[in-house]
Amino acid sequence: MHPDWEHAKQAYRSPQPPEGFSGGVEEAIRRGDRTRRRRLTARRSLTTALAACACFVLLVNASPTFAQAVSGVPVLGPLARVFTVAEYTAEDDGLLLDVRLPGLENTGNEALEERVNAEITTRVQALLDEAQQRAQEEWDAYLATGGNPADYAPAVITAGYEVKYQGEGYLSFVVTVTQVRATASEQFFPYTVDLATGEDVTLRDLLGEDWKETVNASVKEQIAQRSQDPANSYWDGSGGIQGFTSIRDGQPFYLGVDGNPVVMFEEYEIAPGYMGIQEFEIPLGE
Amino acid sequence: MKYDLQQKRQLLVDHILSRQTDFYRLAFSYVKNQDAAMDVVQEAIVKALEKVDTLREPAYLKTWFYRILINEAMNHFRRSRDLLPYDDALNDQPASALDPGTRLDLYDAIQRLSFPEQTVVKLRFFEELKLEEIAQATGVNLNTVKSRLYKALKKLRTMTGEEIDHAS
Repeated sequence: MHPDWEHAKQAYRSPQPPEGFSGGVEEAIRRGDRTRRRRLTARRSLTTALAACACFVLLVNASPTFAQAVSGVPVLGPLARVFTVAEYTAEDDGLLLDVRLPGLENTGNEALEERVNAEITTRVQALLDEAQQRAQEEWDAYLATGGNPADYAPAVITAGYEVKYQGEGYLSFVVTVTQVRATASEQFFPYTVDLATGEDVTLRDLLGEDWKETVNASVKEQIAQRSQDPANSYWDGSGGIQGFTSIRDGQPFYLGVDGNPVVMFEEYEIAPGYMGIQEFEIPLGE
Repeated sequence: MKYDLQQKRQLLVDHILSRQTDFYRLAFSYVKNQDAAMDVVQEAIVKALEKVDTLREPAYLKTWFYRILINEAMNHFRRSRDLLPYDDALNDQPASALDPGTRLDLYDAIQRLSFPEQTVVKLRFFEELKLEEIAQATGVNLNTVKSRLYKALKKLRTMTGEEIDHAS
Protein backbone atom coordinates (compact mmCIF):
# COMPACT_ATOMS: atom_id res chain seq x y z
CA MET A 1 0.00 0.00 0.00
CA HIS A 2 1.14 3.50 -0.82
CA PRO A 3 2.69 5.32 2.19
CA ASP A 4 0.06 8.08 1.97
CA TRP A 5 -2.66 5.48 2.46
CA GLU A 6 -0.81 3.93 5.40
CA HIS A 7 -0.64 7.37 6.91
CA ALA A 8 -4.33 8.11 6.29
CA LYS A 9 -5.28 4.76 7.74
CA GLN A 10 -3.37 5.53 10.89
CA ALA A 11 -5.17 8.87 11.19
CA TYR A 12 -8.47 7.06 10.71
CA ARG A 13 -7.67 4.44 13.33
CA SER A 14 -6.27 6.78 15.95
CA PRO A 15 -9.45 7.93 17.79
CA GLN A 16 -10.05 5.84 20.90
CA PRO A 17 -13.56 5.27 22.25
CA PRO A 18 -14.16 7.06 25.57
CA GLU A 19 -14.17 5.10 28.80
CA GLY A 20 -17.88 4.50 29.11
CA PHE A 21 -18.21 3.23 25.57
CA SER A 22 -18.51 -0.52 26.24
CA GLY A 23 -21.08 0.11 28.93
CA GLY A 24 -23.01 2.22 26.46
CA VAL A 25 -22.84 -0.54 23.86
CA GLU A 26 -24.30 -3.04 26.30
CA GLU A 27 -27.01 -0.61 27.30
CA ALA A 28 -27.89 -0.09 23.63
CA ILE A 29 -28.16 -3.87 23.14
CA ARG A 30 -30.62 -4.06 26.03
CA ARG A 31 -32.58 -1.12 24.68
CA GLY A 32 -32.77 -2.72 21.23
CA ASP A 33 -33.96 -6.02 22.71
CA ARG A 34 -36.73 -4.19 24.55
CA THR A 35 -38.00 -2.29 21.53
CA ARG A 36 -37.93 -5.43 19.38
CA ARG A 37 -39.99 -7.35 21.91
CA ARG A 38 -42.47 -4.51 22.08
CA ARG A 39 -42.72 -4.33 18.32
CA LEU A 40 -43.11 -8.07 17.83
CA THR A 41 -45.76 -8.28 20.54
CA ALA A 42 -47.64 -5.38 19.03
CA ARG A 43 -47.42 -6.98 15.62
CA ARG A 44 -48.67 -10.36 16.85
CA SER A 45 -51.74 -8.92 18.49
CA LEU A 46 -52.35 -6.85 15.39
CA THR A 47 -52.34 -9.60 12.82
CA THR A 48 -55.08 -11.39 14.69
CA ALA A 49 -57.09 -8.28 15.48
CA LEU A 50 -57.06 -6.39 12.24
CA ALA A 51 -55.59 -7.74 9.08
CA ALA A 52 -54.56 -4.87 6.86
CA CYS A 53 -57.04 -2.35 8.06
CA ALA A 54 -55.94 1.23 8.48
CA CYS A 55 -58.27 2.07 11.27
CA PHE A 56 -58.38 2.57 14.98
CA VAL A 57 -59.91 0.18 17.42
CA LEU A 58 -60.99 1.76 20.62
CA LEU A 59 -61.71 -0.42 23.61
CA VAL A 60 -63.40 1.47 26.34
CA ASN A 61 -64.62 -0.56 29.27
CA ALA A 62 -66.74 -2.53 26.88
CA SER A 63 -65.63 -6.14 27.02
CA PRO A 64 -66.02 -8.27 30.14
CA THR A 65 -62.34 -9.29 29.99
CA PHE A 66 -61.37 -5.67 29.86
CA ALA A 67 -63.47 -4.85 32.91
CA GLN A 68 -61.87 -7.78 34.67
CA ALA A 69 -58.40 -6.63 33.77
CA VAL A 70 -59.21 -3.17 35.05
CA SER A 71 -60.38 -4.45 38.38
CA GLY A 72 -56.94 -5.99 38.81
CA VAL A 73 -55.35 -2.55 38.87
CA PRO A 74 -53.93 -1.72 42.27
CA VAL A 75 -56.40 0.23 44.32
CA LEU A 76 -55.72 3.32 46.34
CA GLY A 77 -57.31 2.95 49.70
CA PRO A 78 -60.66 1.43 49.03
CA LEU A 79 -61.59 3.78 46.21
CA ALA A 80 -59.40 6.07 44.19
CA ARG A 81 -57.32 4.48 41.51
CA VAL A 82 -55.62 4.89 38.20
CA PHE A 83 -57.17 2.67 35.59
CA THR A 84 -56.83 2.12 31.88
CA VAL A 85 -59.33 4.38 30.22
CA ALA A 86 -58.45 3.51 26.64
CA GLU A 87 -56.43 0.75 25.10
CA TYR A 88 -55.86 0.15 21.43
CA THR A 89 -53.38 -0.93 18.84
CA ALA A 90 -53.47 0.22 15.27
CA GLU A 91 -51.47 -0.29 12.15
CA ASP A 92 -51.34 2.37 9.55
CA ASP A 93 -49.04 2.81 6.55
CA GLY A 94 -45.59 2.52 8.06
CA LEU A 95 -46.75 2.99 11.63
CA LEU A 96 -47.51 0.74 14.57
CA LEU A 97 -49.41 2.26 17.46
CA ASP A 98 -49.71 0.66 20.85
CA VAL A 99 -51.59 2.82 23.30
CA ARG A 100 -52.70 2.37 26.88
CA LEU A 101 -54.05 5.54 28.43
CA PRO A 102 -54.62 6.03 32.13
CA GLY A 103 -57.46 7.81 33.83
CA LEU A 104 -58.42 8.60 37.39
CA GLU A 105 -61.59 7.41 39.06
CA ASN A 106 -63.21 7.17 42.45
CA THR A 107 -61.13 9.97 43.91
CA GLY A 108 -64.29 11.54 45.26
CA ASN A 109 -63.41 14.64 43.31
CA GLU A 110 -64.98 14.75 39.88
CA ALA A 111 -63.44 18.07 38.91
CA LEU A 112 -59.99 16.62 39.56
CA GLU A 113 -60.72 13.51 37.53
CA GLU A 114 -62.08 15.50 34.63
CA ARG A 115 -59.16 17.87 34.59
CA VAL A 116 -56.46 15.22 34.77
CA ASN A 117 -58.16 12.85 32.35
CA ALA A 118 -58.76 15.55 29.77
CA GLU A 119 -55.19 16.76 30.10
CA ILE A 120 -53.71 13.31 29.55
CA THR A 121 -55.89 12.60 26.55
CA THR A 122 -55.10 15.93 24.92
CA ARG A 123 -51.36 15.69 25.46
CA VAL A 124 -50.99 12.13 24.29
CA GLN A 125 -53.32 12.58 21.34
CA ALA A 126 -51.34 15.60 20.13
CA LEU A 127 -48.15 13.53 20.17
CA LEU A 128 -49.81 10.62 18.42
CA ASP A 129 -51.23 12.88 15.71
CA GLU A 130 -47.85 14.41 15.10
CA ALA A 131 -46.13 11.03 15.00
CA GLN A 132 -48.74 9.67 12.66
CA GLN A 133 -48.34 12.55 10.26
CA ARG A 134 -44.57 12.18 10.27
CA ALA A 135 -44.82 8.44 9.70
CA GLN A 136 -47.17 9.06 6.78
CA GLU A 137 -44.73 11.49 5.19
CA GLU A 138 -41.83 9.08 5.59
CA TRP A 139 -43.86 6.23 4.21
CA ASP A 140 -44.95 8.28 1.17
CA ALA A 141 -41.37 9.37 0.57
CA TYR A 142 -40.21 5.78 0.86
CA LEU A 143 -42.68 4.59 -1.74
CA ALA A 144 -42.07 7.57 -3.98
CA THR A 145 -38.36 6.74 -4.10
CA GLY A 146 -39.12 3.18 -5.16
CA GLY A 147 -38.87 1.42 -1.79
CA ASN A 148 -40.36 -2.03 -1.39
CA PRO A 149 -43.26 -1.87 1.13
CA ALA A 150 -42.37 -5.35 2.41
CA ASP A 151 -38.93 -4.18 3.53
CA TYR A 152 -40.15 -1.10 5.34
CA ALA A 153 -39.52 -1.00 9.07
CA PRO A 154 -42.53 0.79 10.51
CA ALA A 155 -42.26 3.55 13.08
CA VAL A 156 -43.39 2.25 16.45
CA ILE A 157 -45.20 4.53 18.89
CA THR A 158 -46.00 3.23 22.33
CA ALA A 159 -47.95 5.13 24.95
CA GLY A 160 -48.41 3.74 28.41
CA TYR A 161 -48.27 4.56 32.07
CA GLU A 162 -46.92 3.37 35.36
CA VAL A 163 -48.36 3.99 38.81
CA LYS A 164 -45.49 5.08 41.01
CA TYR A 165 -47.08 5.76 44.34
CA GLN A 166 -50.45 5.61 46.00
CA GLY A 167 -51.28 6.16 49.60
CA GLU A 168 -51.36 8.81 52.29
CA GLY A 169 -53.54 11.03 50.21
CA TYR A 170 -51.28 11.14 47.17
CA LEU A 171 -51.47 9.44 43.86
CA SER A 172 -48.47 9.57 41.51
CA PHE A 173 -48.13 8.10 38.02
CA VAL A 174 -46.08 8.72 34.90
CA VAL A 175 -47.41 8.65 31.35
CA THR A 176 -44.76 7.83 28.73
CA VAL A 177 -44.82 8.09 24.97
CA THR A 178 -41.99 6.30 23.16
CA GLN A 179 -41.23 6.77 19.49
CA VAL A 180 -38.80 4.53 17.70
CA ARG A 181 -37.56 5.81 14.39
CA ALA A 182 -34.13 6.93 13.23
CA THR A 183 -33.63 7.48 16.93
CA ALA A 184 -35.63 6.24 19.87
CA SER A 185 -37.05 9.01 21.96
CA GLU A 186 -39.17 8.99 25.03
CA GLN A 187 -41.42 11.69 26.40
CA PHE A 188 -43.06 11.56 29.78
CA PHE A 189 -45.70 13.39 31.75
CA PRO A 190 -45.70 12.71 35.44
CA TYR A 191 -48.79 13.44 37.54
CA THR A 192 -48.89 13.65 41.29
CA VAL A 193 -52.19 14.72 42.76
CA ASP A 194 -53.16 15.57 46.30
CA LEU A 195 -56.42 13.71 46.80
CA ALA A 196 -57.51 15.96 49.64
CA THR A 197 -57.27 19.21 47.72
CA GLY A 198 -57.51 17.92 44.17
CA GLU A 199 -54.45 19.96 43.25
CA ASP A 200 -51.25 18.92 41.56
CA VAL A 201 -48.53 18.44 44.13
CA THR A 202 -45.43 20.61 43.65
CA LEU A 203 -41.90 20.10 44.88
CA ARG A 204 -42.41 23.18 47.01
CA ASP A 205 -45.33 21.47 48.78
CA LEU A 206 -43.10 18.53 49.63
CA LEU A 207 -39.75 20.16 50.34
CA GLY A 208 -40.65 23.63 51.56
CA GLU A 209 -39.43 27.08 50.53
CA ASP A 210 -35.86 25.96 49.94
CA TRP A 211 -36.95 23.21 47.55
CA LYS A 212 -34.65 24.29 44.75
CA GLU A 213 -31.55 24.37 46.91
CA THR A 214 -32.46 21.02 48.46
CA VAL A 215 -32.96 19.35 45.09
CA ASN A 216 -29.91 20.97 43.47
CA ALA A 217 -27.59 19.90 46.28
CA SER A 218 -28.89 16.35 46.19
CA VAL A 219 -28.77 16.05 42.40
CA LYS A 220 -25.20 17.41 42.27
CA GLU A 221 -24.11 14.96 44.92
CA GLN A 222 -25.73 12.05 43.09
CA ILE A 223 -24.23 13.09 39.75
CA ALA A 224 -20.78 13.15 41.38
CA GLN A 225 -21.46 9.72 42.82
CA ARG A 226 -22.68 8.21 39.57
CA SER A 227 -19.83 9.77 37.60
CA GLN A 228 -17.42 7.51 39.48
CA ASP A 229 -18.64 4.69 37.29
CA PRO A 230 -16.87 5.17 33.95
CA ALA A 231 -19.97 3.88 32.12
CA ASN A 232 -21.79 7.05 33.15
CA SER A 233 -21.19 10.48 31.78
CA TYR A 234 -22.86 13.84 32.33
CA TRP A 235 -22.43 17.13 30.51
CA ASP A 236 -19.83 19.09 32.42
CA GLY A 237 -19.29 22.19 30.30
CA SER A 238 -16.68 20.59 28.07
CA GLY A 239 -17.37 20.98 24.38
CA GLY A 240 -19.48 24.02 25.22
CA ILE A 241 -22.34 21.92 26.56
CA GLN A 242 -23.38 23.20 29.93
CA GLY A 243 -23.88 20.60 32.62
CA PHE A 244 -26.43 20.53 35.42
CA THR A 245 -26.68 23.81 37.33
CA SER A 246 -30.20 24.01 38.67
CA ILE A 247 -33.58 22.41 38.21
CA ARG A 248 -36.27 24.27 36.31
CA ASP A 249 -39.44 25.61 37.89
CA GLY A 250 -41.58 22.91 36.39
CA GLN A 251 -39.03 20.11 36.60
CA PRO A 252 -41.02 16.89 36.25
CA PHE A 253 -41.10 14.51 39.20
CA TYR A 254 -43.14 11.69 40.65
CA LEU A 255 -43.38 10.10 44.08
CA GLY A 256 -41.30 7.00 44.53
CA VAL A 257 -42.42 3.92 46.46
CA ASP A 258 -41.13 5.43 49.69
CA GLY A 259 -43.05 8.63 49.09
CA ASN A 260 -39.87 10.56 48.28
CA PRO A 261 -40.01 12.78 45.21
CA VAL A 262 -38.02 11.51 42.22
CA VAL A 263 -37.03 14.29 39.80
CA MET A 264 -36.70 13.43 36.11
CA PHE A 265 -34.49 14.84 33.39
CA GLU A 266 -35.20 14.30 29.73
CA GLU A 267 -32.78 12.59 27.37
CA TYR A 268 -30.00 15.05 26.53
CA GLU A 269 -31.03 17.46 29.28
CA ILE A 270 -28.04 16.84 31.52
CA ALA A 271 -26.26 13.91 29.85
CA PRO A 272 -25.52 12.41 26.44
CA GLY A 273 -28.37 10.55 24.77
CA TYR A 274 -27.11 7.09 25.64
CA MET A 275 -27.68 7.84 29.33
CA GLY A 276 -31.41 8.02 28.67
CA ILE A 277 -33.86 9.61 31.09
CA GLN A 278 -32.13 10.48 34.33
CA GLU A 279 -33.91 10.17 37.68
CA PHE A 280 -32.85 11.27 41.13
CA GLU A 281 -34.64 10.43 44.35
CA ILE A 282 -34.64 13.32 46.81
CA PRO A 283 -34.91 12.23 50.45
CA LEU A 284 -37.64 14.13 52.28
CA GLY A 285 -35.55 14.40 55.43
CA GLU A 286 -37.13 13.97 58.82
CA MET B 1 -29.50 -23.93 7.55
CA LYS B 2 -32.42 -22.09 9.06
CA TYR B 3 -31.67 -19.63 11.82
CA ASP B 4 -34.25 -18.67 14.39
CA LEU B 5 -34.59 -15.27 15.98
CA GLN B 6 -32.50 -16.07 19.03
CA GLN B 7 -29.61 -17.42 16.93
CA LYS B 8 -29.65 -14.35 14.71
CA ARG B 9 -29.73 -12.13 17.76
CA GLN B 10 -26.75 -13.94 19.28
CA LEU B 11 -24.72 -13.63 16.06
CA LEU B 12 -25.50 -9.93 15.96
CA VAL B 13 -24.56 -9.36 19.59
CA ASP B 14 -21.27 -11.24 19.14
CA HIS B 15 -20.53 -9.21 16.03
CA ILE B 16 -21.23 -5.92 17.81
CA LEU B 17 -19.19 -6.79 20.89
CA SER B 18 -16.15 -7.93 18.92
CA ARG B 19 -16.17 -5.03 16.43
CA GLN B 20 -17.39 -2.13 18.58
CA THR B 21 -14.14 -0.18 18.37
CA ASP B 22 -14.16 -0.35 14.56
CA PHE B 23 -17.74 0.91 14.53
CA TYR B 24 -16.81 3.76 16.84
CA ARG B 25 -13.96 4.80 14.53
CA LEU B 26 -16.13 4.75 11.45
CA ALA B 27 -18.80 6.84 13.22
CA PHE B 28 -16.16 9.21 14.58
CA SER B 29 -14.70 9.73 11.12
CA TYR B 30 -18.01 11.32 10.09
CA VAL B 31 -19.12 13.21 13.17
CA LYS B 32 -15.73 14.18 14.66
CA ASN B 33 -17.02 14.25 18.20
CA GLN B 34 -16.91 11.66 20.98
CA ASP B 35 -20.45 11.97 22.26
CA ALA B 36 -21.94 12.17 18.79
CA ALA B 37 -19.94 9.12 17.66
CA MET B 38 -21.17 7.22 20.69
CA ASP B 39 -24.76 8.22 19.96
CA VAL B 40 -24.44 7.10 16.34
CA VAL B 41 -23.07 3.67 17.30
CA GLN B 42 -25.64 3.19 20.02
CA GLU B 43 -28.59 4.21 17.88
CA ALA B 44 -27.36 1.83 15.19
CA ILE B 45 -27.15 -0.98 17.74
CA VAL B 46 -30.65 -0.29 19.06
CA LYS B 47 -32.02 -0.28 15.54
CA ALA B 48 -30.19 -3.46 14.55
CA LEU B 49 -31.37 -5.35 17.64
CA GLU B 50 -34.86 -4.07 17.09
CA LYS B 51 -34.98 -5.29 13.51
CA VAL B 52 -32.80 -8.41 13.74
CA ASP B 53 -35.83 -10.55 12.88
CA THR B 54 -35.81 -8.97 9.41
CA LEU B 55 -32.26 -10.13 8.69
CA ARG B 56 -32.89 -12.90 6.18
CA GLU B 57 -29.47 -14.42 5.77
CA PRO B 58 -26.83 -14.36 8.53
CA ALA B 59 -24.15 -14.27 5.81
CA TYR B 60 -25.21 -10.66 5.21
CA LEU B 61 -24.88 -9.70 8.87
CA LYS B 62 -21.67 -7.76 8.40
CA THR B 63 -22.85 -5.58 5.50
CA TRP B 64 -26.33 -5.31 6.99
CA PHE B 65 -24.94 -3.77 10.14
CA TYR B 66 -22.64 -1.45 8.19
CA ARG B 67 -25.68 -0.24 6.32
CA ILE B 68 -27.53 0.63 9.51
CA LEU B 69 -24.47 2.30 10.98
CA ILE B 70 -23.85 4.37 7.86
CA ASN B 71 -27.50 5.43 7.76
CA GLU B 72 -27.25 6.56 11.37
CA ALA B 73 -24.07 8.45 10.63
CA MET B 74 -25.75 10.11 7.69
CA ASN B 75 -28.79 11.08 9.77
CA HIS B 76 -26.48 12.66 12.26
CA PHE B 77 -24.60 14.41 9.51
CA ARG B 78 -27.84 15.88 8.20
CA ARG B 79 -29.15 16.87 11.60
CA SER B 80 -25.96 18.67 12.53
CA ARG B 81 -25.56 20.29 9.13
CA ASP B 82 -27.56 23.34 10.20
CA LEU B 83 -25.69 23.70 13.46
CA LEU B 84 -22.12 23.14 12.45
CA PRO B 85 -20.06 24.27 9.50
CA TYR B 86 -20.03 20.81 7.96
CA ASP B 87 -21.00 22.03 4.53
CA ASP B 88 -17.48 21.81 3.28
CA ALA B 89 -17.35 18.16 4.10
CA LEU B 90 -20.87 17.43 2.96
CA ASN B 91 -20.96 19.02 -0.42
CA ASP B 92 -18.59 18.29 -3.17
CA GLN B 93 -15.77 20.65 -2.71
CA PRO B 94 -14.43 21.22 -6.18
CA ALA B 95 -10.71 20.87 -6.16
CA SER B 96 -10.42 24.05 -8.16
CA ALA B 97 -11.74 26.00 -5.15
CA LEU B 98 -8.49 25.27 -3.38
CA ASP B 99 -5.51 27.49 -3.70
CA PRO B 100 -3.43 25.63 -6.27
CA GLY B 101 -0.42 26.06 -4.00
CA THR B 102 -2.06 24.19 -1.12
CA ARG B 103 -1.59 20.45 -0.96
CA LEU B 104 -3.86 18.58 1.37
CA ASP B 105 -2.92 15.64 3.48
CA LEU B 106 -4.72 12.56 2.12
CA TYR B 107 -6.86 12.03 5.22
CA ASP B 108 -7.97 15.68 5.24
CA ALA B 109 -8.74 15.39 1.57
CA ILE B 110 -11.03 12.40 2.21
CA GLN B 111 -13.09 14.53 4.64
CA ARG B 112 -13.79 16.93 1.79
CA LEU B 113 -15.47 14.33 -0.38
CA SER B 114 -19.26 14.02 -0.49
CA PHE B 115 -20.84 11.65 2.02
CA PRO B 116 -21.27 8.76 -0.47
CA GLU B 117 -17.74 9.16 -1.78
CA GLN B 118 -16.15 9.25 1.66
CA THR B 119 -18.12 6.17 2.54
CA VAL B 120 -16.85 4.19 -0.42
CA VAL B 121 -13.25 5.23 0.30
CA LYS B 122 -13.44 4.44 4.01
CA LEU B 123 -15.10 1.08 3.51
CA ARG B 124 -12.65 0.09 0.79
CA PHE B 125 -9.35 1.20 2.27
CA PHE B 126 -9.90 1.41 6.02
CA GLU B 127 -12.51 -1.26 6.64
CA GLU B 128 -11.15 -3.35 3.78
CA LEU B 129 -14.46 -4.41 2.32
CA LYS B 130 -14.78 -5.91 -1.12
CA LEU B 131 -16.57 -3.82 -3.73
CA GLU B 132 -19.53 -6.24 -3.69
CA GLU B 133 -19.76 -5.82 0.07
CA ILE B 134 -19.66 -2.04 -0.27
CA ALA B 135 -22.54 -2.28 -2.72
CA GLN B 136 -24.57 -4.21 -0.13
CA ALA B 137 -23.56 -1.95 2.73
CA THR B 138 -24.52 1.23 0.88
CA GLY B 139 -27.55 -0.15 -0.90
CA VAL B 140 -26.44 0.70 -4.42
CA ASN B 141 -25.33 -1.50 -7.30
CA LEU B 142 -21.78 -2.55 -8.00
CA ASN B 143 -21.30 -0.21 -10.94
CA THR B 144 -22.30 2.79 -8.84
CA VAL B 145 -19.72 1.77 -6.25
CA LYS B 146 -17.05 1.52 -8.92
CA SER B 147 -17.85 4.89 -10.44
CA ARG B 148 -18.00 6.55 -7.01
CA LEU B 149 -14.66 5.12 -6.09
CA TYR B 150 -13.16 6.18 -9.38
CA LYS B 151 -14.44 9.74 -9.02
CA ALA B 152 -13.37 9.92 -5.39
CA LEU B 153 -9.84 8.81 -6.18
CA LYS B 154 -9.63 11.29 -9.00
CA LYS B 155 -10.65 14.11 -6.66
CA LEU B 156 -8.21 12.93 -4.02
CA ARG B 157 -5.42 12.98 -6.58
CA THR B 158 -6.23 16.56 -7.50
CA MET B 159 -6.51 17.65 -3.87
CA THR B 160 -3.31 16.04 -2.71
CA GLY B 161 -1.46 16.68 -5.92
CA GLU B 162 -0.02 13.22 -5.87
CA GLU B 163 -0.30 10.09 -7.83
CA ILE B 164 -1.74 7.93 -5.10
CA ASP B 165 -1.75 4.35 -6.10
CA HIS B 166 -4.97 2.94 -4.73
CA ALA B 167 -4.23 -0.67 -5.45
CA SER B 168 -3.38 -2.38 -2.22
